[in-house]
Amino acid sequence: MGILVENGGILTSVQDEGRYGYQKYGMSPAGPMDPRSLYLANILVGNPMGDGALETAFMGLRLRFEEDTVIAVTGGDLTPRLNGAELPMYRAVPVKKDDVLSFEGMKNGCRAYVSFAGGLDIPLVMGSKSTAMRYKIGGYEGRKLEKGDRIGFVNPQPELPNMEKRQLPQEVFPKKETVLRVVLGPQEDCFTEKGRKQFFWYSKTITNEFDRMGCRLECDPIEHKGDGNIISDGIAFGAIQVPTNGKPIIMLADRQTVGGYTKIGSVASVDLSRLAQCMPGDKVRFVQISLDLAQDLYARQMKRIRSFDVKWNA
Amino acid sequence: MTEKQRKERTDIVDNVKFLTASDRAVSVVFGDEISLEVNTKVKMLAQELEKHPIEGMIEYSPAYSSLMVHYQPDVIRYRELVEELKDRIARMTPISEEEQIIKEVPILYGGELGPDLEYCAELEKVTPEELIRRHSEPIYYVYMLGFAPGHPYMARFEDPFGFKRRSEPRVNIPARSVVVQLNLSDLIPFDQPCGWNIIGSTPLELYDASKENPFLLNAGEWVKHVPVTKEEYDEIRRQVIAGTYQIKSYRKGQ
Repeated sequence: MGILVENGGILTSVQDEGRYGYQKYGMSPAGPMDPRSLYLANILVGNPMGDGALETAFMGLRLRFEEDTVIAVTGGDLTPRLNGAELPMYRAVPVKKDDVLSFEGMKNGCRAYVSFAGGLDIPLVMGSKSTAMRYKIGGYEGRKLEKGDRIGFVNPQPELPNMEKRQLPQEVFPKKETVLRVVLGPQEDCFTEKGRKQFFWYSKTITNEFDRMGCRLECDPIEHKGDGNIISDGIAFGAIQVPTNGKPIIMLADRQTVGGYTKIGSVASVDLSRLAQCMPGDKVRFVQISLDLAQDLYARQMKRIRSFDVKWNA
Repeated sequence: MTEKQRKERTDIVDNVKFLTASDRAVSVVFGDEISLEVNTKVKMLAQELEKHPIEGMIEYSPAYSSLMVHYQPDVIRYRELVEELKDRIARMTPISEEEQIIKEVPILYGGELGPDLEYCAELEKVTPEELIRRHSEPIYYVYMLGFAPGHPYMARFEDPFGFKRRSEPRVNIPARSVVVQLNLSDLIPFDQPCGWNIIGSTPLELYDASKENPFLLNAGEWVKHVPVTKEEYDEIRRQVIAGTYQIKSYRKGQ
């Protein structure tokens, strides 16, 4: 078998790029909170960029390898160690049978991604390996990983071509205050001028209600023109919903697919990674950018990510 | 196409709003009310996108009066996508009676699994039997699925009840409950908190993981609730668990 979970840590789940094509049935796509880090983890070990990997939050995950393969760890720096020694992140690293990978605590960011060359042997549910934990769908038995779980590798690779080249600079995530770029819409006109100013001028504090579904912020209420209710419509990844109480909630990977509250804007896709690495108590500040710029940045990011794939894996 | 039809099409395109839902999603809004008329346009666009997909579109998701299109901006930009969507909207074709599907959903009313039936009958000042008749005679339209996977938002278009939600929501109600208020009736796929009154339970699964398409209902379909006895309910439940139950469905107008 591939890996034995010796400690599941605080929250570890299998996530691939997400489950698409089922939002029309009310099925949230799930998938990674920090998509960029998942893509890079996969490409570093030669997998398709959207393949299933482990998303582990905060600390505590410990895995024993039962087969040789190559792994990579990206995203937040949770102090990864291999057999007790520091494991370099953003780099393909060969591991041997009986090696132990552990995460000792948060140094920078809070969610790490572990990819395994050749992929994890997880059955596809509606075309995806992602875990939708609230409904016990997909991933490893629809739940977070626990001590004693075993996941096989599909096609383990003890070695990969271009091994020494498979490394990237480690991403460093902002501490304390994170600036998030925002595109206005779909209901920005449901807010007063004062409400919009409040939204952009003052930084907001991330509350403890921050999970894979959403991130609730504390701030002076954002003023609506009306009561903040609309005819329920679709909710995108990163949408910033402002309910009647005026306190914004950023809708994330496990969000509901539809909702009846006004959405003032949405976090630019390229900044979702930084948001995913924030902790309760941290501050975020919103800065408006145009839709054109947000799409340019996204296209540029995807091009850059794919260029590594071409360089190492073509 | 007649001159009148051409004008109608231009009117629809002109009256549609395209809202930026994110840098990877656009919301196509057909109106600002919850009505069969507006939702039919949502359904017509969904049908058109099935027939003529747009390159770079990841998926679409219908709501009451709008349809959300998720797309890849590195394949298609907002402006190009909106042009493609306008083209699809101009091509939309009406959905005939024969294309509309009615699905029969068996319901055991009252008892342990429908604890609020008698209370609701009291509120309406009718007998429980009369309340069951009023609930089960009309057909219900599935406006959209949401809140949880496979959860239908349904309504009938006649004879609404007078009551709304309960004053105290319940912390947890079981999957497969039938919950009602006014002219609305929902079927609950997973255990969840709920503030509506529970008048019955269906033996069918709204979400069945063992099936290739796990979802019982689609947005835009109609549902007919069929009262069953406890014995029939148990028998259907056995067949559902065994995977042998076939839902009865037919075309509207048949």
